[in-house]
Amino acid sequence: MPMIEVKNIRKSFGSNTVFDDFSVNFDQSGVTVILGPSGTGKSTLLRCINGLETIDAGDILVDSLSVKEKRNLREIRLACGMVFQQTTLFPHLDVLENLVISPVKIQKMDRKEAVDKARALLDKVGLGGREHSKHNELSGGEQQRIAIARAMMMNPRALLLDEITSALDPEMTAEVLRILEKLAGDGVVMLAVTHEISFAQRVADRVIFLEKGNLVADASVDDFFSGIKSNNERIARFLQNISQG
Amino acid sequence: MFEKYLKLTAYDAVFLLEATGTSLWITLVSISIGTVIGVVMGILRNSRNKLVSAIPLIYIEPLRNSPLITQLFLVYYGLPVVSGIVLDSNTAAIITLSLNTGAFFSVLMHNSIKAIPGAQWEAGLALGHSRLSVFINFIVPQVMRLLVPQAITLYINQLQCSSFVSLIGLIDLTKAGNILNLRTMRPFLIWTIMFAIYFIISYPLSQLAKKLEQKVAFSY
Repeated sequence: MPMIEVKNIRKSFGSNTVFDDFSVNFDQSGVTVILGPSGTGKSTLLRCINGLETIDAGDILVDSLSVKEKRNLREIRLACGMVFQQTTLFPHLDVLENLVISPVKIQKMDRKEAVDKARALLDKVGLGGREHSKHNELSGGEQQRIAIARAMMMNPRALLLDEITSALDPEMTAEVLRILEKLAGDGVVMLAVTHEISFAQRVADRVIFLEKGNLVADASVDDFFSGIKSNNERIARFLQNISQG
Repeated sequence: MFEKYLKLTAYDAVFLLEATGTSLWITLVSISIGTVIGVVMGILRNSRNKLVSAIPLIYIEPLRNSPLITQLFLVYYGLPVVSGIVLDSNTAAIITLSLNTGAFFSVLMHNSIKAIPGAQWEAGLALGHSRLSVFINFIVPQVMRLLVPQAITLYINQLQCSSFVSLIGLIDLTKAGNILNLRTMRPFLIWTIMFAIYFIISYPLSQLAKKLEQKVAFSY
């Protein structure tokens, strides 16, 4: 049974219809990379799954819980941690408090346990010893690595990654992708909207390609980059444009 | 020559101290009430419901766009005519200054909440917090850091504006200065003392606001 079922959703922003009768499922394991041109609904899909955007019709079920029911949102969000494109660290808190506050307040985790867990996660993302830094003392890449650690603090079953490297330079992007590879190796389920093709090739199990709210391709990473890529002119052009920067 | 000019009696000093107390009392009470009004109105202004967010404007806009002195005269002289309720000058001063502070504070509150990027709300919600929990744990601390320096500046301004209450018969610092000036006929001395008292109260507060402003200068 899939972890996330997107069933015939419709989503519009004013007169702009992003999805109309769109469906896709995501399994309980693996890394799925979502590709597609800008404005095609990739980020909107993740935001709808997380309940940050409401859907106009259809339904999205996460572990059989509907995002349309407000009372399910907390459980859905705990199941699907989300990391955003822009930095979202809380600027009034240091790194450690950014990580600790939510499990303590939401999951009633013992504070000492939360601190130990936060330290372990900071080590994992290569930022051990930076517990007391403030967000403006960190580079963009470091902030995103902390945002990943913060999402992991809640023990999510899946991570929704919304173009988390698109605002970073190549060096910082590489730092962040290394962390994601490490987490994928640990078996963390990921849905990643990204333009990092090399990441998709190395880490993803599945690639889906969206255009104008439609599922143009949904394939294993090998099939996508060998067969579909060469058979679908639109995808081939997209990948060529991306590789040319 | 200056020795004679600077001579004031002990009675004058006590009189000035009492008047300073009146100014401070009126200011403290009205900024306290005004802050409560401002917080409530500022939060309502940020409501996602358009009607609810528009309601505070009925209160805020008239008070922001008319002189404090006309508001004071309206409450003290005008209100008894239509309502039959005669307010003593102390009450009229506190009501007017409270409402006036509230109007300006609610604008500061509204702007400070609005200044917090929407991504901060979303980050909190995505971690499983309710909207109330996001507001309390993440938005309020950030709002406070933006709001406090501006609020101190508003409070200093309200202390200075409290001098208008002398026009409805309250013996505040400015009124006391006027009385002493008429009695002693030493305008330079008296108004220098008035200036110094207002300055001694206001300056440390404005420095505090400046320090807080530097401290909260974080970027997103």
